Amino acid sequence: MAKTKQEKLDAKKEKEYYKKHKKTFKTKPGDVVFNIFNYTFFILFTITCIFPFYYLFINTISDNDLVRKGAINFIPRGLHLTNYISMLQAGEISQAFLVSISRTILGTVLMVAASAFVGYLVTKQEMWHRKFWYRFLVITMYFNAGLIPWYLNMAMLGLTNTFWAYIIPGIVAPYNIILVKTYIESIPAELEESAFMDGASYMTIFRKIIWPLSKPILATIFIFGAVGHWNSFTDSLILMQGAPEYYTLQHRLYMYLNQASNISAIANSGQISDTVASSMMNSKVIKYTISMVTIIPILIVYPFMNRYFEKGIMLGAVKG
Amino acid sequence: MNEKKTGKERLADKIYYLNRIGILLSIVLMFFPGVNPARVCGYINKNMSLLTSGMSYNGLIEECGRAFRQGWLSESSFQLLFAASLITCIGIALTAVCGCMSLGNLKMKRTGNWFSIAGSAAEIAGLSMIYIAYTQIAATERPEKVEPQLHTVGFLLFMIAAVVVLITSLVIQILLPKAEKDMKYAMESKFKLFLMFLPFIALTFVFSYLPLWGWRYAFFDYQSGGTLSSENFVGFKWFTQLFQNEATRQDIVKVLRNTLAMSGIGIATSWLPMVFAIFLSEVKSPRLKRFVQTFTTIPNFISWVLVYAIAFAIFATDGFLSSLLMNMGVLDSGFNFLMPTDHMWLKMWAWGTWKGLGWSAIIYIAGISGIDQQLYEAATVDGAGRFQKMWHITVPGLIPTFMVLLLMSVAGVLSNGMDQYLVFETKNNIEWLNVLDLYVYKLGINNGAIPLSTVVGMTKSIISVVLLFLANGISKLVRGESIV
Repeated sequence: MAKTKQEKLDAKKEKEYYKKHKKTFKTKPGDVVFNIFNYTFFILFTITCIFPFYYLFINTISDNDLVRKGAINFIPRGLHLTNYISMLQAGEISQAFLVSISRTILGTVLMVAASAFVGYLVTKQEMWHRKFWYRFLVITMYFNAGLIPWYLNMAMLGLTNTFWAYIIPGIVAPYNIILVKTYIESIPAELEESAFMDGASYMTIFRKIIWPLSKPILATIFIFGAVGHWNSFTDSLILMQGAPEYYTLQHRLYMYLNQASNISAIANSGQISDTVASSMMNSKVIKYTISMVTIIPILIVYPFMNRYFEKGIMLGAVKG
Repeated sequence: MNEKKTGKERLADKIYYLNRIGILLSIVLMFFPGVNPARVCGYINKNMSLLTSGMSYNGLIEECGRAFRQGWLSESSFQLLFAASLITCIGIALTAVCGCMSLGNLKMKRTGNWFSIAGSAAEIAGLSMIYIAYTQIAATERPEKVEPQLHTVGFLLFMIAAVVVLITSLVIQILLPKAEKDMKYAMESKFKLFLMFLPFIALTFVFSYLPLWGWRYAFFDYQSGGTLSSENFVGFKWFTQLFQNEATRQDIVKVLRNTLAMSGIGIATSWLPMVFAIFLSEVKSPRLKRFVQTFTTIPNFISWVLVYAIAFAIFATDGFLSSLLMNMGVLDSGFNFLMPTDHMWLKMWAWGTWKGLGWSAIIYIAGISGIDQQLYEAATVDGAGRFQKMWHITVPGLIPTFMVLLLMSVAGVLSNGMDQYLVFETKNNIEWLNVLDLYVYKLGINNGAIPLSTVVGMTKSIISVVLLFLANGISKLVRGESIV
């Protein structure tokens, strides 16, 4: 579109204005010093955030003898992947990995589906005592009975030492429901009304209109929910005391970091089979490799979640 | 649709209340182990509720192995018991269906009633079978080992509920007129929506409200695996013990000191993310900005266990720092930098900051991009320097966000979470790391002092809620907006 006369005039004025105040907008020597310090700080801080991951990684793929001597600090040497392969063969670790993966996927999918559905339901003014039930749900964000009553409750429900203890309590997530509700309220009501006129049921409207349109927010809560599930550690520690087969990867890692400080202790503790232990040579490598196995899934999904950061955190500020 | 209701129908509507109360009562009771009628002998786990007895046969016979082998109990009576519990549970589920359908139109109500008649009849049959199983078990040769017992209160509660539901359903069915043949199933949309919501309300109730029932442990002298009864009711004994028992009091003082100190350090430095964001916005290259923002948020997404793994990899005896210093000849042998217990609070704060700084800054970065650019230009023309602009334009623009987060962190002053302290804790530094959440965990889960830890947790929860309301009140007063 061609610029109007007025716009051209404005642009010209602006140019003249900058010319006139050239001195004010010029870079001063003080700015250079400031920038050097500023850039240095941010680059250094960023390095402290990345380097540990890099360090762990190069130590798991380098020659295990060199690693034991502490010779691998910046550059990997003697590359190999046997540590990871041995790790997969260690029964406990692959079992824990499976538990973590399945709880993350199943738990998050159910949570997202429930949040979407409930988020839709609570936007419906005509629901019987809608306000009361919505508050009944939301108020649970602000109090909790405490760790011990929670544990006793789970025991009473017979959920301790079962896989479902990871899944069922997390299905209803009030905070995510609020996020979805806020989002759905921003969808033009006409869409839904016209579908309603055509005789669509609530379920049809939810499936055909609400679900597809609220995908951005659902992706956001999916990512955050999945990270939460993957990182969750105390529930495994407290609820699975009698069921080591349901320990999560985080829990296993915690045990390895704490328990065994030398190779024979690891082998003797029955945590890991002798062959695996001897093939990996030292406990340092074992610990680093499990750490890496636990971190890698996060690093894989990280680029995808990056774009949902601001959306998630800003929506959180607007609560209904 | 809008035809007038007859007197009979209105009476039926009233009876429905009684009917629904009976149904709801048996559903709720189904979850409580304390009133489980199926616990007919001492060999059944005290944590079994009627629902779990009806769902898992293995759970039911978990502790009976020896009794079966010795011939004190016959397995057939346990199979009968399991079947009876299952039938009772199915019966209750059927009455629940009726409870839902009773919100619909006449046809729906009538159909639903058949469900509840069948369901309550099944319940009564199931309960009778439980009684038969009990008489079988009571006929054992070794009653002192088996301890046969019928939970009278639970049994009667379920029985009364079932009978009430049966009678009311029958009466309603007689009172309600027959539905016309061409009538269709229908329900008002307000109830339809409510019923769709109901499963989630139930989940919320079970996992968020039901734990409050556990607060009663604070008033009993409870040992793990025991029961609560009027005999071990101790009133406020545990509350007073917190202050009277010398050892506990010292613990509490120490724990509170650590909690408040570490929360205090956190609150005192809560302006850091804002400063981080302001200075990051001074970075002119958008690519570097993006880079910094992307990578400083990574640590926020790893768990505290992984943070500890990283601490371990960098600072332990055979970690990065030691080997680097050894290679440089500064150290002769590896040194574990995690060992020294001085400045623990600051170290914990440093780890927290490393993990959270980049992430907490995002909300401020978003805030800065929302500030009108013309303000900066105008200030530049007026001769304002870089820092003056920061102080007079950026900071005031971010203060509202800062205040909300500050109030929230003041409200959460007692909750530092336990993950961080649990992973970093050793027997040397526990003195400085033991915060309230960790203390409750260790006391209750590790030491089995359930009543005392419930008291501590309960007090903490109540104070936290009060603090939250206070913070909210302040926010309303000052900003005219609530934060919760």
